[in-house]
Amino acid sequence: MKRRTFIKNSVIVSGGVLITPNVFAAESNVSSRKRVTILHTNDTHSNIDPFPESHSKYPGKGGVARRFELIQKVRAEEENVILLDAGDIFQGTPYFNKFGGVLEMKLMSHLGYDAATMGNHDFDGGMKGFVDAKKHADFPFVCSNYGFENTPIDGHTKGYTIIKRGKIKVGVFGIGVEMKGLVPDLKFGETKYFDPISVANDKANLLKKKGCDLVICLSHLGYSYESDKVSDLVLARKTKNIHLIIGGHTHTFLDKPTEEKNLNGETVLVNQVGWAGINLGRIDFEIDSKVFAKKDIIKVG
Amino acid sequence: MILKIIIFLLLGAGLLACSSVNTILVNNEQVSVTSEYEKVNSADSIILPYRNDLNKEMLEVIGFAPQSFERGRPDGSLNNWSTDVILNSQLEKIDKTKPIFCILNFGGLRNPISKGDVTLADVFKLMPFDNEIVIAELPISSIAKIEAYQKIRGGEPIAGAKIQNGNFVFNNPIPGAKTMLIVTSDYLFNGGDHMDFFQDNIDVQYAGELMRDVMIEAVKKQETLIWSDEKRIDLGE
Repeated sequence: MKRRTFIKNSVIVSGGVLITPNVFAAESNVSSRKRVTILHTNDTHSNIDPFPESHSKYPGKGGVARRFELIQKVRAEEENVILLDAGDIFQGTPYFNKFGGVLEMKLMSHLGYDAATMGNHDFDGGMKGFVDAKKHADFPFVCSNYGFENTPIDGHTKGYTIIKRGKIKVGVFGIGVEMKGLVPDLKFGETKYFDPISVANDKANLLKKKGCDLVICLSHLGYSYESDKVSDLVLARKTKNIHLIIGGHTHTFLDKPTEEKNLNGETVLVNQVGWAGINLGRIDFEIDSKVFAKKDIIKVG
Repeated sequence: MILKIIIFLLLGAGLLACSSVNTILVNNEQVSVTSEYEKVNSADSIILPYRNDLNKEMLEVIGFAPQSFERGRPDGSLNNWSTDVILNSQLEKIDKTKPIFCILNFGGLRNPISKGDVTLADVFKLMPFDNEIVIAELPISSIAKIEAYQKIRGGEPIAGAKIQNGNFVFNNPIPGAKTMLIVTSDYLFNGGDHMDFFQDNIDVQYAGELMRDVMIEAVKKQETLIWSDEKRIDLGE
């Protein structure tokens, strides 16, 4: 994809001289359209090396060094790139069993990840195991609906993060799956679980108030369920102020992001790229910057 | 008068601004990570010492797969192999007066075993978790819950029993038995994947063996892995 150049439209509105320049700019089409490229993975599950050519399902697919090459290519073409992961970084190959997640963290830092959230398997080495591995990470973990007070993870995650790229502010928060039944009790200990929908609404509202142009939820809830269990699609419908949900957990390969309507009837994108680093998700946003705009309208090209 | 015009213009502009929208244009691509991006790079250099360390251990060939073993719902060759191996590993130790079967979870069989040489790494990928084998004793009456669970889940791997038209049938029933033994993992026994019927247990023995270690031993012992696509689960209507 080629980098696009944006031409500032100059529109003359009569009487405009009487109005403060900011308001004028916001109202007219004199918009500086801003562009940001979101790259994302989920459920990479310690798949450091590509699947072997003899693999029965994904021969020759994936591989962290190849992902790095691909990301570098995008970074060379695009000014504003943000790299995110929706959890389950650990568990799936002997690399995790032998090295406890250290290599995964070193590589994600090298690839330039900006933020990740924790999946249920990121507790597999125990909470202390996670903290030990995380020492090798130079990016934050955003976990908004786990309460880690009185656990070894306390202080090692953030409720949200704001990533600035050029003139763009992107707010990112993380929603985890309920661990009871998924993770042995001992591994998550006294971790408290808070309702995904109300936490997501609070964080998204906060990030909007802080002036974020885009609000992204990293979710490890899972794409969709037949039961009424909360999923990414449910989260999209029952919240507002979220533009994009990057999901995981269900290892869902989507051809393109799903468009859902939120509580305000606005479009929310839900994306997920399977697992094992077989695909890298790429979503390019071009954003208007109207200061007094009431509503965001997402148009998928 | 001029002031009024200014106020009017400001108000008008404000109202217009409030009703305006931001348009966000979106383009997407799910980019496939393939050999197209193969190049020796700095990420490789980070991986290399770790890979060498692991390979020494993991690339040892320990057996041969005559066909690919795939997990499936309700049935799959990997479901059959895994449950058979775990069940068989415990048969010698148990009380023979009670019927016995094994249940594992489809979700826990993390990777297929591809046709060809089987390495230690393949078994680690199939069973990365350090899960221990347990033998739980439950009343026979809990079978109804297991049937219901199988139905909801669309089939979870079993050995030593079948589901016929939704009904649970032991391969070796023992008439008059009031309890049964279930071989499974500590993860499932403790409520993993919502196998809540294990809460009915009246006794449990921890085998002291990891599922993965038992599987590794089975590959070594079988040499050519025993492949079966036997249909064990028919959930009926």
